[in-house]
Amino acid sequence: MGSVSAKDIPAAWLGRLLDVRDRAQNLYAGGLLALLLVLVGLPLAMVVLMSFRTGFPGEGGQLTVQNFVEAYSDPTTYAVLWNTLLFSAGTVTVTVLFAIPLVWLVARTDLPWKGAVQVLLTVGILIPVFLRTIAWILLLSPHIGLVNQWAKQAFGVTEPVVSLYNIGGMAFLQGVSFVPAAFFMLAAAYRTMDPALEEAAYTSGAGKIRTFFKINLPITLPALAAVIIYLFMTALAVFEVPAIVGLPARILVLSSVIFNATTPPTGLPDYGLAGAYGFTMLAAGLVLAYFYVRLMRQGKKYTVITGRGYRPKEIELGRWKWAAVVFVFIYLSIEVFVPFLVLLWTSLSPYLQLPSMEALSRLTLKHFVSIPDYVGTRPFVNTVILMFAVPSAAMLISVLTSWVVVRTQVSFRGTLDTVAFLPHAVPGILLAVGLGYLALAYKDYFPVYGTITIIVIAHTINWIAYGSRTTNSIMIQIHRELEEAGKVSGASTPRVFATIVLPLIAAGILNSWVWISMLSYREVTMALTLGSRQNTVVSTVIWQFWSHGWVTQASALGVMLVVFALVVVSALRLGFSKRGELGAGG
Amino acid sequence: MIRIKELRKQFKTRHGGVEALAGISLDIVEGEFCVLLGPSGCGKTTTLRCVAGLEKPDAGEIEISGALVNSTASNVHVPTEKRDIGMVFQSYAIWPHMTVFQNVSFPLTQGRRRCAKSEVAQRVTRALHLVKLDSFHDRPATDLSGGQQQRVAMARAVVTEPKILLMDEPLSNLDAQLRQQMRLELKKITGSIGVTTLYVTHDQDEALSLGDRVCVMNGGRIVQVGTPYQVYSDPSDLFVAEFLGDMNVVKGSVAGPARVDSPFGAIDCAVPSGVTAGAQVTLAIRPEYVRVSSHAPEEFRGVQGKIVSKTYLGDSAVVEVEACGVLLKSKLPGDSDIAVGQRAAVAFGTDRWRVYP
Repeated sequence: MGSVSAKDIPAAWLGRLLDVRDRAQNLYAGGLLALLLVLVGLPLAMVVLMSFRTGFPGEGGQLTVQNFVEAYSDPTTYAVLWNTLLFSAGTVTVTVLFAIPLVWLVARTDLPWKGAVQVLLTVGILIPVFLRTIAWILLLSPHIGLVNQWAKQAFGVTEPVVSLYNIGGMAFLQGVSFVPAAFFMLAAAYRTMDPALEEAAYTSGAGKIRTFFKINLPITLPALAAVIIYLFMTALAVFEVPAIVGLPARILVLSSVIFNATTPPTGLPDYGLAGAYGFTMLAAGLVLAYFYVRLMRQGKKYTVITGRGYRPKEIELGRWKWAAVVFVFIYLSIEVFVPFLVLLWTSLSPYLQLPSMEALSRLTLKHFVSIPDYVGTRPFVNTVILMFAVPSAAMLISVLTSWVVVRTQVSFRGTLDTVAFLPHAVPGILLAVGLGYLALAYKDYFPVYGTITIIVIAHTINWIAYGSRTTNSIMIQIHRELEEAGKVSGASTPRVFATIVLPLIAAGILNSWVWISMLSYREVTMALTLGSRQNTVVSTVIWQFWSHGWVTQASALGVMLVVFALVVVSALRLGFSKRGELGAGG
Repeated sequence: MIRIKELRKQFKTRHGGVEALAGISLDIVEGEFCVLLGPSGCGKTTTLRCVAGLEKPDAGEIEISGALVNSTASNVHVPTEKRDIGMVFQSYAIWPHMTVFQNVSFPLTQGRRRCAKSEVAQRVTRALHLVKLDSFHDRPATDLSGGQQQRVAMARAVVTEPKILLMDEPLSNLDAQLRQQMRLELKKITGSIGVTTLYVTHDQDEALSLGDRVCVMNGGRIVQVGTPYQVYSDPSDLFVAEFLGDMNVVKGSVAGPARVDSPFGAIDCAVPSGVTAGAQVTLAIRPEYVRVSSHAPEEFRGVQGKIVSKTYLGDSAVVEVEACGVLLKSKLPGDSDIAVGQRAAVAFGTDRWRVYP
């Protein structure tokens, strides 16, 4: 071909445009990766940076290891580390002791009311840990606790009967709160195991017990180990129980030390010291996250997903059935029923009182009615902003990311997926401390300190991990050929997206949107760490009521928080009962 | 009409590039039913997807009904939705959020080949009648069995009366009996609407029974194109010979222009050009041309052997017979009374030996 004919020119242009389209895809994916790296990496970089700096955010100064020297020459630091270790190990033990029997009962036996049990476990996730903790303190506190008051009245005992103000009590409360998350993770691992593996053992002549130890246990062991590591990693960084129970009892762990250093009750914040402790927490978290990911991969190797939709016969509990029901009921009481009833009783009482016929006549709604008088409407407006902005931003980023990960051939899509997963391993308190430091140090470029925006940013980063996991699985479920069939039918790409892809993913996307909205709504650690007068939300208001000793008001707002969450989730369940069940996750 | 010229395509993997298509050329005439046959990874599905426009070839040209849809030389790549094609996918790709009617009418209401509303219902009814799903209009897609989904996919593919019908292993997800039945129906449907069909499969029975022409592929190349009879009885190489059915393979050496020495003595057969006397070759014969009988007939020209095993298949029986130190398979009528351990005479069908270098 010597010369280009006139007819070839548009064709050549079209071809070049297509090349541009391929390049645009890479450019788009690269931009997304950069955005995620900034969102996730920058707050973490700040934690590292502040650990090597002294003075206030924004003051330059030389990098120094003085913070580490200061932290690790103080003997209390070792007590803190030891407490953290004890608390985390205790928490994981409590969780596993409840979660494994629960998973086994629900997955493999003829336990009655399984559906209700799963719903109540979901409700358990929606009740914030700090509210459950408050409720249990109201019940078991040595001085104000209803149980100890009642013991005094009834038996005349002078010493408190039980107390939660020790590491055991803290680990128990935290451990119980982790059970629903552990349950759903373990149940997922259990579901992907091919029942034929178990049946093959039976046909080889192995009994139920031998099969359990030789087949079920080794196959689910990587998943179990992964869940344990994940729980341990999370327990190292949780803040709510250590703050509400630990601080008054002077039992310090890493998270409460970090919080105290950045928001001290008196004196000036010491970001350098918070950084030194944060660095330690981050390092431990990342090491554990590495093992977690490795174990998850190993677990995946074992899972065989078959197309056949049958389950092996359920094990009959026989006369043990009622013992199992009692066990489940006791757990759910600790997790859901008792805390809610205690909060409800307290919120309706004029002051903290023991239940009696006489007390019943004194019940009042005044604490509910009077809440706006104390805090105005700002916390509610802020909470609504969170509930819409966080899930929208997190799901938008998740959908855009998943599309690259699942649907394109971009070479670094694996890296993109890993970075989106990273917030899973980053403790919320560090994310918040890092973001706060960033906003203080660079307030000219990033003027969000003390605004609701910074909480939105923190929450969004935190739930990108959850969002992208769910959007990945939603997208994978849509067979590529469903889209291709649309194109072959002559529909353009936007039309295929609108008429085929969108209707198919909408239910799943909306489902996780609502779920993230609920998780953001009840989150308190990050909101508190980044808190100011302007950006209070419902959860931080409850926290402040509690720390000021306004027990009844805290209970009233807590009841409202839980009831509203229940209404939203029930509506969602009803709305989606046809399309699949509500997912749960942290 | 489909014309494929020098089609090339590479896929990038972690271990470098893999050549999926190494220069494919194929002409399919108007109304022809052409089957692409080959093992997995041979490039047959990639070829089909290039014709559909779902993959973009690295080099080569594709013409559909005289219109150029792909040409790397002049930078043409017509997107899938602008090609006048219908396609049946391996997974059927029935949209689960729509009814049968909505699925089948989609190309007429959402695509580039839209038609008047009054005509839509009429055309969908005709298409559903063609696949014998007359009363299924309002059935949700999720309430269909595998076979019914297959029929809906077929109806959707032909509802626009496209010039080209593409099918990607459409029967592989059905169970054996249904597959047999759908195979017959597919042939009838495509025949009745006279559409040019390109059909991908790895099942040689399907290929031989459906195709006007079978195109055998291996390693990204076309190995042989011909009528089903040609590719079965006169395979161009050992790969085709063994892929299309059972084959007995024996070593031999060329003795003359049309003569090969074998363990059974000299055999008269055509020797491929370029193979000189003395060269080592491979002799091949299909089991149905190895005749085994308990007593040697008059004018016997075969060898003596011993029956080693027998597999009864109902309509036929396959025996393994050891003769002259070679194990041969032979296909006999089902009612044959030959038994294991018996001595037998082995004879070969005339002109049934094929010779490969």
